[in-house]
Amino acid sequence: MDDKKAAILSEIPRLRRYARSLLRERDSADDLVQDCLERALVRLDNWQTGESPRRWLFTIMHHLFIDQMRKVNRRGEAAMLPLEAGEAQAAPADQVETIASREIIDALQAISPDRRAALVMVAIEGFSYAEAANILGVPAGTLMSRIARGREELRGLLDDTSRRRSIRIVEK
Amino acid sequence: MTRRDFSERDIHMALDGELPGEERMAYDAWLEANPEMKAKSARYIADRAAMRAAFAGVMDEPVPARLRQVVLGDAPVKAPAWRSRWWLSAAAAAMLAVGGLGGYVAGIDSIARGGGDDQLAEQAIAAHVIYAAEKRHAVEVPASDKDHLQTWLSNRVGLKLVAPDLAAEGFDLVGGRLLPAGGQGKAAMLLYEDAKGERISLYVTAESSETSKGTYTAETGGPEAVYWLDKGYACAVVGSLPPERLSDVAKSAYGQLLAGISS
Repeated sequence: MDDKKAAILSEIPRLRRYARSLLRERDSADDLVQDCLERALVRLDNWQTGESPRRWLFTIMHHLFIDQMRKVNRRGEAAMLPLEAGEAQAAPADQVETIASREIIDALQAISPDRRAALVMVAIEGFSYAEAANILGVPAGTLMSRIARGREELRGLLDDTSRRRSIRIVEK
Repeated sequence: MTRRDFSERDIHMALDGELPGEERMAYDAWLEANPEMKAKSARYIADRAAMRAAFAGVMDEPVPARLRQVVLGDAPVKAPAWRSRWWLSAAAAAMLAVGGLGGYVAGIDSIARGGGDDQLAEQAIAAHVIYAAEKRHAVEVPASDKDHLQTWLSNRVGLKLVAPDLAAEGFDLVGGRLLPAGGQGKAAMLLYEDAKGERISLYVTAESSETSKGTYTAETGGPEAVYWLDKGYACAVVGSLPPERLSDVAKSAYGQLLAGISS
C-alpha cells in the first residue's frame, strides 16, 4: 500500500465524524465519505506532495456536501419527501446518544448548512480560521460571521428545546 | 498589555484559539468587567463541549469495510444505484427543521384530537395529495422494479407487503415510496394509475393498535380515504373516484394485502 493511500485511510475516522455532524444519519454520512474517497482516488495526482491529506480530503468532501445542498435548494427538491426520511428518523446513529447529545445533534441539523459546516470545522474538527476558510473557500470574514451566527443560532435552538422540555414536564 | 476595545467577536476568537496571545490578559479583564459577555462565553464553551462529546464516539467506531475498500481498491467501487442519495436525507432534515416547533405542536395536537383512524386517513390523504400530483417524482421505486419495491418496503414497514394486482379494476402499479407514519413509524405508499391517468394510492403501516374501518374525507373536501385498522397493521386506499368504484378498488386491494400480510 502506498503512502498516499495509507494517509487517506488514517483520515477516515475524522471524515466520518465531520460527515456525521453535517448529515446526522450514519448511512447518509458514510455515503458522503464514500463519495469523497472515490473522488479523492480519482484525483490522487492532484494531491500536492506536502499538502496535508486532512485539508485536501476535507476540501473535497465539503465541496461535495455544499454543491449538493445548493442543487437541492435550486431544484426545490427539499420540498420533496425523500426516500429514506422515515428510515432516517426512526434509526438514529447507533452510537448511544444521551438526551443532551441528541438535542445538540438535532439543533446542529437545524442551522443552515454553511453555518453548520463552518462551526463544526472549527469547534469540533479543530481547524484554524485560516485553514477552515481555505477548505470552505470563503474569506476569513465570512467564515467568522458564519461561526458567530451559527453559535448564536445553535444556542437559540437549544434554549427552545429545553423550554419545550420544561413545558412538557409542567403539563404532566 | 495591549489596550483595545473588545467585542462579541473576540469571544469567538478566544474560544477558537484565534486571539493573539498578547491580548489574552486584556480580554480576560474585559470579560470580568462584562458579566453578560462572560455568561455568553461560558455558554458557548459549554455548547462546544456538548458538541464535541456528541460526536466523540464516531472516532472510535470501526471504519466500515466499504470505505476501506474504496481506498484499498480490493473490491469493486461501483455504487448501488441509489447510494449517492445521501443529500436527500439532508434535504429532509432541512425540511423538518423548518417545520420545527410548529410541526411538533401540530403533531401532538392531532394525536390528542382525533382517533388513530382519523390520523391514518389524514396521513394517507396528505401523502396522496402530494405525490399523486407529481409526474416525474411520484414514486421512489418504479413498478418496473416491483420485486425490489416489495422487499424493500416490507423490510422497512415490518409487514410482508405484496403490491395488489388491480388490473381487473383498471389500475396499474406506478411504484411506491416509504413515508413517515405518526411519530417514529413508517408507512408504505403504493401508487396506481388507470388508463385515463386517474391515480389512487394505498397507504400501509404496521403502526396501529385499534380496530376500526370506515371512510374519511377532509372537511375541506378533496380525495376520500377508505381505511381498515387492525392490531399491528392499517391500510387506507385514497382517491378521487366515484364512491362505488373506490369502494370496489379498496376491497380488492385490501383483500390482496391481507392475504399477503398473513401468508
